[in-house]
Amino acid sequence: MTGGVPAADLVLGVGLLASVLCTVLPHSRLAQSMGLLGLGVLTTLAWLRLGSVDVALAEAGIGGGILAALLVWVSVRSPAQPSPDAGTAPRWPWLRPAVGTLSAVTLILITAAVWLRAEQSLPAWDAAVTAAMDRTGVEHEITGVLLVFRFYDTLLESAVLMLTAVAVLALGREDVGPRAGLSAALGTQPSIPASLHWLIRVFAPALFLAGLWLLFAGSTDSGGAFQSGAVLCAVLILLRSAHVPLEKLTLRWLRPVLVAGVVAFILAALAHLSAPFSFPVLLGIEVLLTLGIAAGLYAIYLCLENPVQREVSA
Amino acid sequence: MNAPMSLTLFCLGAVVLIPLLASALSVLLGSAARRVLGVLTSAAVLGLSAPILVRVTSGETLELALGGFESPLGITLRADGLSALFLAMTAIVGAVVSCYAAARPAATGKRLVAQTVEPATVTDGDHRAALTEDAPAAWRTGHAGFWPLWLGCWSGLNAVFVSGDLFNTYVGLELVGLTAVALVALGGREAWAAALRYLFIAVLGSLLFLIGVALIYSVTGTLDIIDSGEAITQLAAQGDADLAAVVLALCLISLGLALKVALVPLHGWLIPAHSSAPSAVSPLLSALVIKAALFVLLRAWLWVAGPLPELEILAWVLAGMGTAAILLGSVMALRQSRLKPLIAYSTVAQVGYWFLLLPLLLDPETSALEGQPGTTLEEGAVLAGALSGTVALALGHGLAKASLFLSAGHLKDLYSTDEITELRGAGRAHPMLVMSMGLSAVGLIGLPLSLGFSGKWLLATSAVAAGHYWILVVLVAGTLFSAAYLLKAVAPLLVMSEDDQTALTLPQAQNHPGASDRTLTGKAQLAPFLLGLLTVLTGFLGVWLTGVLEVGAPW
Repeated sequence: MTGGVPAADLVLGVGLLASVLCTVLPHSRLAQSMGLLGLGVLTTLAWLRLGSVDVALAEAGIGGGILAALLVWVSVRSPAQPSPDAGTAPRWPWLRPAVGTLSAVTLILITAAVWLRAEQSLPAWDAAVTAAMDRTGVEHEITGVLLVFRFYDTLLESAVLMLTAVAVLALGREDVGPRAGLSAALGTQPSIPASLHWLIRVFAPALFLAGLWLLFAGSTDSGGAFQSGAVLCAVLILLRSAHVPLEKLTLRWLRPVLVAGVVAFILAALAHLSAPFSFPVLLGIEVLLTLGIAAGLYAIYLCLENPVQREVSA
Repeated sequence: MNAPMSLTLFCLGAVVLIPLLASALSVLLGSAARRVLGVLTSAAVLGLSAPILVRVTSGETLELALGGFESPLGITLRADGLSALFLAMTAIVGAVVSCYAAARPAATGKRLVAQTVEPATVTDGDHRAALTEDAPAAWRTGHAGFWPLWLGCWSGLNAVFVSGDLFNTYVGLELVGLTAVALVALGGREAWAAALRYLFIAVLGSLLFLIGVALIYSVTGTLDIIDSGEAITQLAAQGDADLAAVVLALCLISLGLALKVALVPLHGWLIPAHSSAPSAVSPLLSALVIKAALFVLLRAWLWVAGPLPELEILAWVLAGMGTAAILLGSVMALRQSRLKPLIAYSTVAQVGYWFLLLPLLLDPETSALEGQPGTTLEEGAVLAGALSGTVALALGHGLAKASLFLSAGHLKDLYSTDEITELRGAGRAHPMLVMSMGLSAVGLIGLPLSLGFSGKWLLATSAVAAGHYWILVVLVAGTLFSAAYLLKAVAPLLVMSEDDQTALTLPQAQNHPGASDRTLTGKAQLAPFLLGLLTVLTGFLGVWLTGVLEVGAPW
């Protein structure tokens, strides 16, 4: 701390705070979504600055990319929806923000004070990770923790993503069969300018390659199934926006691909409950998981269409 | 590394992974096949849980280091007495409710269907020709999405119960919370608002828990529950160490989990969520889902933090909230005119009992009885009694509330209403349903022979031994209140026409499409009856329960 904080970090910090305000303060949904998009970019930079490339990639792919795509879609589709609180105007409109700010400040102060006072003890697994890395077949330590040492957490997390997609599909029309939950999503897309169309044609293959690179680089470097899946999902969203006919593919393959990764992971885990995975098994699971994550995120995107339009009582 | 693994240890992993596998596979199946798979999975989980319970009962704590990586590097699955009991209760309630849902698909929710029927010929032809975006939609009863979501939820519950790792517990809670929210949303358009509110609460609760876990990890350097507990005990023994981080962590964890169990005043979300959920979902939410948060709370207070004297204020605050829950929940239950909200408020009241033991944990001296002739209590007797009393109350609540919600949901589905006044005299038409409601009321009030009675008895005796007489007052008040609101719910259904002069007219029962459906509906009434019967019969297990809880106990 002798040399002070570099100017770049100060700018980044101020920018982060500013983009948070841009996300929270505006009343228009579109402006809020744009604010979040900017926040995602700056958060990614902050993670990079902190040296956490894996977190930065995940933030860029899922937090910044896919989430912002969902929000922009919603705000474009229904820009003027009133907020749930708008119906009943509160007596003191300043009361809620004031109490909220006060609580947040108190919470942050207490947590920060405790955090700074506490004697941090180093993770007990530092030495153990280094010692056990050669048993894993992968070279990158974060991949080792995610897929080998704590594979059970990753398994349950991929199940959470799969079940999120299942839940979202369950809210649509029909409950079983290939069209279940998707019928509202397969309508015609709004037309887009020719230049954007052209741009997507150029970008989609490059993005696809980037997704594959993230997947296979994961064993030796930063990257992995979650980041790669997010990028592949972005490719699908772009292709769909560019009117590439994906309906048939979606109807036939979305569900099988969605569950294949989790099923393969569970079967492998049942066979390896007390012994580590071998590298080929690991690689197969990682590929299937990536496809499953891409399918899950794409399903969530497809299901944003309101299924109860023109509802009639039964 | 490649040591042969016993069959029981395999069960420990499979009890989580098998329902999850079934959940993933069921996504690809049709409605009828999903029901078959659901029932088969229930049988499998029962079969996998039984050896775990048997081995733990024989005094052995089961441990499985996943992938062969021991803590702190890997994740350990661990089943002690507490795990085995919750696992067993979940298996029983889960299997019975699964059979009920398979027998009555209409109880699993409402689905949207396109109003126009597609011609069968276009199925593999041009899909875009069959687009139904503009077709009007209609609601139909029954939602096969119940199966993947419920089986995933079951897997998450079991994951929480056998987890030996704090972060893994968080992932399990996420799995349970997410699927529970989606299950509420199956109740149709009117359940969506309640589900969204529940989603915010569930995510906020998980987030607070996660921050607490991060704090514990930062001071202990490990995520393993037993290891971090030992590290905190060592810190506390040092004398000059700063335990503020642990105290803050316990505050955050308790707050997050209190949100998830709906402890007063954090209970607002539970009433709409539990009462608007489909008939097969409400029993699962009330009997099982909130138990996952209770289980983690007990783990955090007894295994991780140990009895730190610094936690005394927090313990009293939570016990105060518990007392408020018993009183407020009961009063609100008495004011309800509909069956399902009344039962939901009864859950709010019963949650309060599970927090009364916290002050006892920090003050387990048998001071009140010392010096009196003939009382020799061994060390830990108060703790053991308080914990087994609380666990008995929670397990008894699980069985009884599942039965009560199943019966109430069944009546609501049959008559499209759960107004108590309109259901007057329903006991004549459905003796078995009302009988099971009566049995579960016995369990919830805590009348002798039921598990609820054993729980209250154990809790009361250890409260007296520790000199905490206020618990007796709360228990008596709660018992009287619960008798009042459950009588209010059940008595009108039992009215016979001879009892008073008013004519009994039940609303028109909804007609069923086929005769086979009608017989299935009849058989489905066995499910709440079985659970009601178990509520009363398990009352004999109080002593056995205390013995099982000694396995792997922290004292």
